[in-house]
Amino acid sequence: MPSRSIDLPQGTLDLLILRTLSLEPLHGWAVSERIQQISSDVLRVQQGSLYPALHRLERRGWIKARWGTSENNRKAKFYELTKSGRRQLEIERDAWEKLTAAVSQILETA
Amino acid sequence: MLHDLLFRLQTLFRRPTAESELDDELRFHLERQIAKYVRSGMSEQEATRRARLEFGGIDQVKDECRDARGISFVETLLQDARYAARTLLRSPAFTACAVLTLALGIGANTAIFSVVNSVLLNPLPYPDPRALLAARPNDSRPDLKDIQHQTRSFASSGGVNVEPMDFTGNGEPMRVHAAYVDAGLLQTLGVQPMLGRWISDDEDVKGGPRNVVVSYPFWRDVLGSDMHVLGKVIRLSGNSYTVIGVMPSDFSLPKELADVFVSMWVAYPGEAPDRDVHSMHTYWRLKPGVTLAQAQAEIAQVDRRLSEQFPDTEKGRETLLIPLHDWLVGNVRPALLILFGAVGLVLLIACANFAMLLMARAVARQRELMIRASLGARNSRLIRQRLTESTLLALVGGAVGLLVAKLGTMFLLALKPAALHRFHAIPIDARVFTFVFAISLLTGLLFGLLPAWSASRGDIAEALRENQRTTSIEVSRSLLRSVLITAEVALALLLLAGAGLLIKDFLRLRSVNPGFNPANVMTMYLQLPATRYSQFQLQTNFRRELLARINALPGVEAAMITDIPLSGNFVDHRVVIDGRPTPAVGTEPEVQVLSVMGDYFRVMQIPIRAGRDFLPTDREGQPLVAVVNEAFVRQHLPGQNPIGSRLDWIRTPEPHQWMTIVGVAADVKYSGLNQPVDPAVYSPFSQNDEAWRRWMTLVIKTRAPIAGLVEDVKKQVWNMDSQIPVSGIQSMDDLMAVSVAQQRFNMLLLGIFAALAVALAGVGIYGMMAYRVNQRTHEIGVYIALGAQHRDVLRLVMKDGAKLALLGIAFGLAGAIALTRVMVSLLFEVKPTDPPTLIGVALLLAAVALLACYIPARRALSIHPMTALRCE
Repeated sequence: MPSRSIDLPQGTLDLLILRTLSLEPLHGWAVSERIQQISSDVLRVQQGSLYPALHRLERRGWIKARWGTSENNRKAKFYELTKSGRRQLEIERDAWEKLTAAVSQILETA
Repeated sequence: MLHDLLFRLQTLFRRPTAESELDDELRFHLERQIAKYVRSGMSEQEATRRARLEFGGIDQVKDECRDARGISFVETLLQDARYAARTLLRSPAFTACAVLTLALGIGANTAIFSVVNSVLLNPLPYPDPRALLAARPNDSRPDLKDIQHQTRSFASSGGVNVEPMDFTGNGEPMRVHAAYVDAGLLQTLGVQPMLGRWISDDEDVKGGPRNVVVSYPFWRDVLGSDMHVLGKVIRLSGNSYTVIGVMPSDFSLPKELADVFVSMWVAYPGEAPDRDVHSMHTYWRLKPGVTLAQAQAEIAQVDRRLSEQFPDTEKGRETLLIPLHDWLVGNVRPALLILFGAVGLVLLIACANFAMLLMARAVARQRELMIRASLGARNSRLIRQRLTESTLLALVGGAVGLLVAKLGTMFLLALKPAALHRFHAIPIDARVFTFVFAISLLTGLLFGLLPAWSASRGDIAEALRENQRTTSIEVSRSLLRSVLITAEVALALLLLAGAGLLIKDFLRLRSVNPGFNPANVMTMYLQLPATRYSQFQLQTNFRRELLARINALPGVEAAMITDIPLSGNFVDHRVVIDGRPTPAVGTEPEVQVLSVMGDYFRVMQIPIRAGRDFLPTDREGQPLVAVVNEAFVRQHLPGQNPIGSRLDWIRTPEPHQWMTIVGVAADVKYSGLNQPVDPAVYSPFSQNDEAWRRWMTLVIKTRAPIAGLVEDVKKQVWNMDSQIPVSGIQSMDDLMAVSVAQQRFNMLLLGIFAALAVALAGVGIYGMMAYRVNQRTHEIGVYIALGAQHRDVLRLVMKDGAKLALLGIAFGLAGAIALTRVMVSLLFEVKPTDPPTLIGVALLLAAVALLACYIPARRALSIHPMTALRCE
């Protein structure tokens, strides 16, 4: 495990998944790769928690799954954002921005 | 929320697909990851290792995915149930033992519960049954009418008196049960006829039309389910009655059996206006909002008024109103509740055995469980799995128990106890099902939890070591097992004590001398129709001729009496004794009045204690004579020579027609073997001047049972009069058996429960001892190797079991002394703390317990030291 990567803070995994899927439908492995890539390998998704999170989001109705063919011609399960998922993404994104803004404010002034 | 629910349901039903999809999804991920590492230059093997390591436990991820999908509860339950079913099927002996143990316990409980349900819990089959009351004592029709007119508490009320009537014109003459009713009865019960109508108020009068309403069974079996029966005429006791109604199939009177319903005024005009004849059961329906106490107060006022108005017959009236349901089940409730309690104890013992079986199984599977725990299975999950297993077992036990219960209720009905005489079948209804399900579930959960919990605590490492004899789990388990065994023995003793008391009491009852010899005595009941035998001399002629004809049959000795002992019937009269001051009106002594013809005392082998038997010369036109029983002499002629004393019924007008006492007959138990003997006066039928006593019971003694005797007698009767039904055909022996049927029922049931309890407790002790011997093989081996004698080994092994058994017996005895007191109402003579019984059952149980210890201990003797040491 590269030493510069950090584990995800609690509760952010859902947000990252929703954000990743808001661009295009992806399968689980691609989701984890995409998060790692975009964060320049800083964020690493624990694979053990990725799939339970995907299933949980599916149950909430924020993403839905369908079987499709992967880029290497294999059967894979693709997840895509639903309408309510998109709304949820906005809500969580707002919350996150407020949180980070508040945290950085404290860090800078205190 | 809705999405969530649909999603859960969908995953549940698509379970196999969802499961394989999950597999596919995760496998795809791994493959991609491996491919990625291979591309980055790793060897295939290295890449696989790395990917797996990163991914973590695949099963754990799957579990978490399932949790995330929200399928866990039902899903795990199904999974656990499947797993439990598989493992149970793999050990059929254990499963069979557990299921059988529970099936016996639950089945016996369910059988008794369905009786309790039918008899005590089910409401009466009348609308708004809570408003229905019965009254004690019986009343006469004029009194009933007066109360009806003078009270406001009741919406309606009615009375019924069931008497035999002869139904003729349809093959053999038949004796039917005729309900002499008043018109208000049906309205009170709140039922309507299925066909036609009920007797109306203006028909229920003197000289009213001869109308009859028939019961459903009578309509079906005798009238051939004739849909056009209304308006047809049937012959009852020599009169023609028009059928005006048919009752519904599920209708019956609260207590009485009746085939036909007729107005008392119409069918029995002689008795209907007679205030003195208190023969009617009366039923009352409260007006809405009126309480029992208010109604009781009102009826007490009427009672007072009536006793002032008619001091001759109504003095000291005290009518007691009783809720109908209480009146019907009051007598059987204590017995049923005691049986229910007893059978509950049997279930507890079965449950204790069940728990011990589960514990033994847990020990056998200890390593398996611990290995699963070390592989990451959560403790709660393991407990849950074992609970699922025990509950599954209990439910299967319950299902089999239902079968046992069905057989059990059939058996109970076959015993024909008085409490169940109204029931043809005991239904297993929804309430019984709920009961079985509830106790099965409870048994499985509760008694599964004990061992599951005691097994769950423990150190994995400790358990993985082969030597597990002295682990801390084992100590707590052994304590639990000891408590269970002690409790089992104590409960078994409690039941055994109860059964012992009933058996002893029953034997006492059976050995009571009834005062007559029932062997080879056949009885038959006849009633002469009032239409053709209203005159007293015609009755006497018929009786004399019939007796002569029957006595002419070879090997037969016959006599007749109004009512035979134990039949439940007799007539009471008040008497006056010549030369005594006449007691105040209404306080004269009451005696049983029995008319006889022929050699009654010889046929029944009732000894004559003093004076003489009746002679053929004691007949009409001769001096009036009587024979009294010993109880009469004791109570009314103490210290005197009864022979020659004279007595008469109280009668108006005087003068008296004195009967001279010529003999004293030995006492006969008339009302039941456990009842005191009442004073009785026998007099010859031929000197009887009460023409309404038209019935008689033949008593026919033969040296040996004669086939065809009943047919021969019937032929003789019908040769004389083809319209007279012959009924009540039964042997005196049967009558004796019927009279103790309820006691026999109680004894047999409690006996069976006790036997079951002792057997279960024995099996429990045996199981524990066998387990202990098995466990201590090593220790015993060493002991033997060191030169211990057989006796020493036996003592070593049996000490534990014997200690627990004795402890249980001590607790049980204390419990028995405290609890058997509730049985007083079931006992006739034996005290509930009868020392010989208690000592006897304690010894019996001790013997069983020792035997149960001894068999496994014997096995300990055969342990070879070398094998024992090697098994370490």
